[in-house]
Amino acid sequence: MTRAAPWLAAAAAMIAVAFLLKDFGYYSDQYRKLMLWVALALGFNFLFGIAGQVAFSHFAFYGIGAYAVVILTFKAGLPLGAAVVLGLALCAVLAIAVGIAATRLEGFYLALATMAFAQLFLVVLTEGGVVTGGAGGIANYRLPALEVGGRRFTLTGPYYTSLIALVLLATFFVFWRLDRSYFGRACRAIRDNPEAAAAMGVDVARTKIVVFTVTSVLAGAAGMAYAFVDNIVNPPVFGLENVFLLLFMVIIGGSGRHAGAVVGAILLYMLPYVLTPLIGHHQALVFGIVMVAAMLFRPDGLVGAYDRLRARYGRGAA
Amino acid sequence: MSAPPLLSARGLTKRFGGLVAVDGVDFDVFAGEILGLIGPKGKPIHGLRPHDVAGRGIMRTFQHNMPFAGMSLIDNVLVGCHRRMQSGLAALVMGSRRAAAEEEKARRRAAELIGFVGLGDVADTPVVNLSFGQGRLLEVARGLAGEPRLMLFDEPAAGLTPAEAERLSDIIRGIAKRGIAVLLIEHDMRFLLPLAERVIVLNFGRKIADGTPDAIRRDPAVVEAYLGEASTIGAGEEAARA
Repeated sequence: MTRAAPWLAAAAAMIAVAFLLKDFGYYSDQYRKLMLWVALALGFNFLFGIAGQVAFSHFAFYGIGAYAVVILTFKAGLPLGAAVVLGLALCAVLAIAVGIAATRLEGFYLALATMAFAQLFLVVLTEGGVVTGGAGGIANYRLPALEVGGRRFTLTGPYYTSLIALVLLATFFVFWRLDRSYFGRACRAIRDNPEAAAAMGVDVARTKIVVFTVTSVLAGAAGMAYAFVDNIVNPPVFGLENVFLLLFMVIIGGSGRHAGAVVGAILLYMLPYVLTPLIGHHQALVFGIVMVAAMLFRPDGLVGAYDRLRARYGRGAA
Repeated sequence: MSAPPLLSARGLTKRFGGLVAVDGVDFDVFAGEILGLIGPKGKPIHGLRPHDVAGRGIMRTFQHNMPFAGMSLIDNVLVGCHRRMQSGLAALVMGSRRAAAEEEKARRRAAELIGFVGLGDVADTPVVNLSFGQGRLLEVARGLAGEPRLMLFDEPAAGLTPAEAERLSDIIRGIAKRGIAVLLIEHDMRFLLPLAERVIVLNFGRKIADGTPDAIRRDPAVVEAYLGEASTIGAGEEAARA
């Protein structure tokens, strides 16, 4: 039971924040989006930082999840539950396809192929006619009421924010548990040395496909939660630049570390809000300089820097 | 050797382009035996995918150390346990009792093997901080973690100091004592001959000798092909013993 305590405490704290912010619409909205970015960064960290797959398809799956749940619910008229299950299944099928490609391609070539996949997704959205709503996307829908035990209720305001908090925690929990298992070690092994990993009995191709599937399905789940945050999905929201922001979040925070993904996502999500009032559009310049400096001087990220500081002063105190 | 061999190779032939590297070679490896293989540099011969080789209980070390550089020593060795891990992803996420027991067993095994190769002090150290010799011992512990029936050493003495090579010889004898078949692919005679119980010598892809190290030392074909002047080798051995 003690093992569950930190998770319950985190859930309680995050839900408490959701209710504290319930009368502040703007901050509540930012809080929801921040939590979804953290969930995405955790998945991208597992894919890129832990399994070493330089894959730019991650944010596209966020979009696929969001569009799938909206199209299946409001265009195909399916119940929400069925739409969620089918949407996640779609993410899994597409992720397996990308994963199979990843067993043939490495490094730079995988990066290009997955970027092409993300670009293709945007083209499909724009050219999708009535199904995707084209360049304007789909809007004017609302989260359908859920029926549990004959009673209908709708998750709104802080209740929906709490649902997002649970999605984030569940995502964190899955990656945290997998990372500490033989599966996580196999992922790090194929990142560090695929030949040696195979000699130790790790099926490299299968491991890659599973990693793509798990991370992409959870990205899709976050996308489904996003679909009812703004109640609009359109191509610009899922632009290619987002996946690079994810990459920066993971690198700045500390690649391969869950804490790094969380810190990096929070920091880079908030940075423009802090900088823009001070220096306006020049914040992009500062952002770029910070990125280059971070990669030059702290390739192990902020979490790595923190570890070094602690090691130095911990030893001094002892 | 009355027990059936653990690994039987019959009529092995391997060509690289027009070059015949191995030509119709037969050999057997028995459980608990240390078999030396001397020949032109070759890769382990198999038509299986590498992870299937491990799946059949054949683990290996690499001539050039191949650690998982971003991980600690114990995590490296734990990867060696991979083929014995059977829990599904759902069991890992839910933390089933069976998955936890499996992980616990693997950790005990990894810690035991790290102690066996003498790296107990550095078990939690990132492998980038290990010396070259320690890296070779990592390879040994990692291979053993897969509970091999046959352990293949690809030039294990390469790059080691004499003291490290001596230590490794003791470890290899200990591995054979556990009933594991040991196949040593090695060029360094000073390392191989005192260690192996039986030696097979290949020359231009053909088996030219198969016998005890003493018989190999005296075999005229081997002396001609590999040892050069028999007297100088003998003198060196005598000097080493004195």
